Amino acid sequence: MRVPVALKVGVFSVAVMGGYTYFANSIPQIESKPPQELSLEGGNVTPAQLIKAGEEIYKTKGTCEICHRIGQKGTRAPDLAGVGGRAAKTKPGMAAKAYIIESLIHPQAYVVEGYPPIMPAVDKPPIALNRSEVWALTAFLESLGGNVDVTLNDVPASVGAAAAGGGGAAAAEVRIPGDPKAGEAVFAGKGTCIACHKAGKIGASPVGPDLSQIAKIQTPDYIMKKILDPKGSGTVAGFPPGVMPQTFGQTLTSREYVDLVAFLLTLK
Amino acid sequence: MPAEAQEAATKGETAYRSFPVLGSRLAVWAVAQLHLNFAAFILGVPIFAVIIEAVGWRTGDARYDWLSHELVKLTFAAFSTTALLGALLLFLFVGYYPRFWAYMTSVFFPTYWVYALLFFLETFTVYLWYYGWDWLSGSRKWIHVGLGVLSNLFGTAILFVANSWVTFMISPAGVDESGKLTGGVWAAITNFTWMPINIHRLIANIVFGGTICAAYAAFRFLAAKTDEERARYDWMGYIGNFIALAAFIVLPFAGYWLGREIYAFNQTMGITMMGGFMSWLWIIQAILIGILFLGSNYYLWLGMERIPGSERYRKYVPPMLIILTIGFMVWATPRSMVVTLDEARAMGGTHHPLLGFFGVMSAKNTVVNLMILTTFLSFILYRRANRVSTRPWVSAGMAVQWAAFAAAAVVVVFYGVYGYFVESIVRIGFSVYQVGAVLICIALVMAVDIPMFKGARTTGQIRWGTIAPRSQYVLILLAVTFTWLMGLMGFARSGIRQHWHVYGILRDTSPEAVTPALGYASNVITVVTIAFFALVMFIFWLGGLADRGKAGAHAHAAAPVMAGGSDPHP
Repeated sequence: MRVPVALKVGVFSVAVMGGYTYFANSIPQIESKPPQELSLEGGNVTPAQLIKAGEEIYKTKGTCEICHRIGQKGTRAPDLAGVGGRAAKTKPGMAAKAYIIESLIHPQAYVVEGYPPIMPAVDKPPIALNRSEVWALTAFLESLGGNVDVTLNDVPASVGAAAAGGGGAAAAEVRIPGDPKAGEAVFAGKGTCIACHKAGKIGASPVGPDLSQIAKIQTPDYIMKKILDPKGSGTVAGFPPGVMPQTFGQTLTSREYVDLVAFLLTLK
Repeated sequence: MPAEAQEAATKGETAYRSFPVLGSRLAVWAVAQLHLNFAAFILGVPIFAVIIEAVGWRTGDARYDWLSHELVKLTFAAFSTTALLGALLLFLFVGYYPRFWAYMTSVFFPTYWVYALLFFLETFTVYLWYYGWDWLSGSRKWIHVGLGVLSNLFGTAILFVANSWVTFMISPAGVDESGKLTGGVWAAITNFTWMPINIHRLIANIVFGGTICAAYAAFRFLAAKTDEERARYDWMGYIGNFIALAAFIVLPFAGYWLGREIYAFNQTMGITMMGGFMSWLWIIQAILIGILFLGSNYYLWLGMERIPGSERYRKYVPPMLIILTIGFMVWATPRSMVVTLDEARAMGGTHHPLLGFFGVMSAKNTVVNLMILTTFLSFILYRRANRVSTRPWVSAGMAVQWAAFAAAAVVVVFYGVYGYFVESIVRIGFSVYQVGAVLICIALVMAVDIPMFKGARTTGQIRWGTIAPRSQYVLILLAVTFTWLMGLMGFARSGIRQHWHVYGILRDTSPEAVTPALGYASNVITVVTIAFFALVMFIFWLGGLADRGKAGAHAHAAAPVMAGGSDPHP
């Protein structure tokens, strides 16, 4: 029996594409996931936890490793080994932490000789680190040969404000159509948030992060998402993951949810 | 907040909706790739159709006019499917990504009108071109060729408008940090990657159109019942492949330019593209392009078998095959490999102590330029296979040609080796010298070759239709591979934005913001490519229905001369 040409050509074509597909499935499979927002403030973060969080940002969301190496000279960007010690001497009169923060948010202010001025501002898109992430990253870089003494107050309040999912300045401008008073009642009552969180004058439990300044350090987007999907929003450094219930989307009414968000946005 | 970019669209509206079963991203991906395949076909085929028509007009060879008409007929049949898929894609964006689409509209709304107007003009001109074939013949042929040129200009303008939207998503310009349009819509259009992608897609469309038409001819060749049919479709396949190959040779240069502009726009994006999670994509690309090079050359070598007098050039085939194979292997060598701890210890790192040297751009640029030179040499040998120059200066001419090849190869290899000893910023500039040497060589060799073989003595006519049937499978392989490669490159172009709809401006906050791994991407690409070819075959079948029982109905439908009586060269 003569095999139809269309069938022969079809089988041949599918076999060719099958070969390509097989190869593409045989090589390392790497996904690019959207970075998680990291919140450090509000919790009792130890220097060690801060450095660990900073190292994580260095390797992931900060995308620093694309150009920088630690202990290896690169062609695109300086070796960061010992940068914590060097930073104090690079610009006379400028402390290490101030120099590092300047390098992160205004990278063109001082360019190390021999390297092209290609570093982007890390608090601006597409990297878009928020204020607490810049804080942690600074701590990590200080730890490379220096003393970790950076505090949140050293990082300008404007950092990350213009970025997507940015900082507190943007948060203050957002109006949520909820009643903060009613939201406070949800926080202390039906929502049972008070069982784990402190929020200004109410609550005292250290199980979860202190939310007393949550509107200052986090975006409305993050807060809204965190209530509905705590697991998918990441866990604050220093606290155990998976403790916060995943069920608020089902247990709270829309009104209660909006009121709760409105209340949290008053916490500055 | 992503400020203006988000605000332009939100107003309390839904940002995303979920497409049933498949998910919104997969639905948009599949339809976008299909639309792009068809759009590339209806834009690419007319470009070489008009070139072929012009060749036929100037040489008086009716075969070219027949072929050009055949090609426009194929385009015609695919026109409405392309428009339908474009509309479907628009509906998907409006329905499932309303916030994204509202933002794009806030920036590009004026261009929508330009797009619609151009589409109308192109449709009108193509209709006139197709239906006026017999009416505008003879002394009015120049008007007809002019219509073909005009329809291509409109088509290219449509491509450029659509590219402005796509490239803005990669390298936004004319907007501030919040996404608000500040520099005017022209600034948004003329972003960093707009012109490189315009050129890259324009050339790639010609290659694509050529490979598809060659595959169509191959299919008809394999299904042919008579020698005359086989001769006609053998010739058609050769012409399709010739034009595809001519355009394909310059495609890598357009790719370099695009890559350089991506780096110029944003170093992080460029480095992520080449050295980040997408680094393995370029290995797959290298394999596909290697197959395209090998396939194209193999087809030419098989084609030489049907040309009397080509025997004298057979000795060049083994060394050319060796160069292409080594080039293929070097290009497909990854820089670093994901290995087990024991393997890494044994190698002294993730870079292999020897093969690691072949994984860098110095080596890859060198071999791709050598592969281009080799392919060009194959074409030159094919071109003169049945001809013997009668010029008195033939020895000097040949010496100049071989010297040009040798000089280009030396320049390419020199800068390839030198690249290992300089900083990357210097090394990037070397590719310009390598590409320049290859282009100068091509120009110089052709400048000598054309006069040298004008009026040459022939050693026999090409026996069209006697080529080995496996050569037709090579043509099909080339079409399938190039179409698949287009899907892969579409994934790369889209994937380098990662979790951004508009890079750095409008974040993808949907649950499907993850950029998938290459395995998943290749599964999607394969399924969509199969769907594309199934649709194309169906459309061609539909297009062929009209001609059944009407053999000889068109005055221009003259078949190419049978075996033993035609010249190979367009």
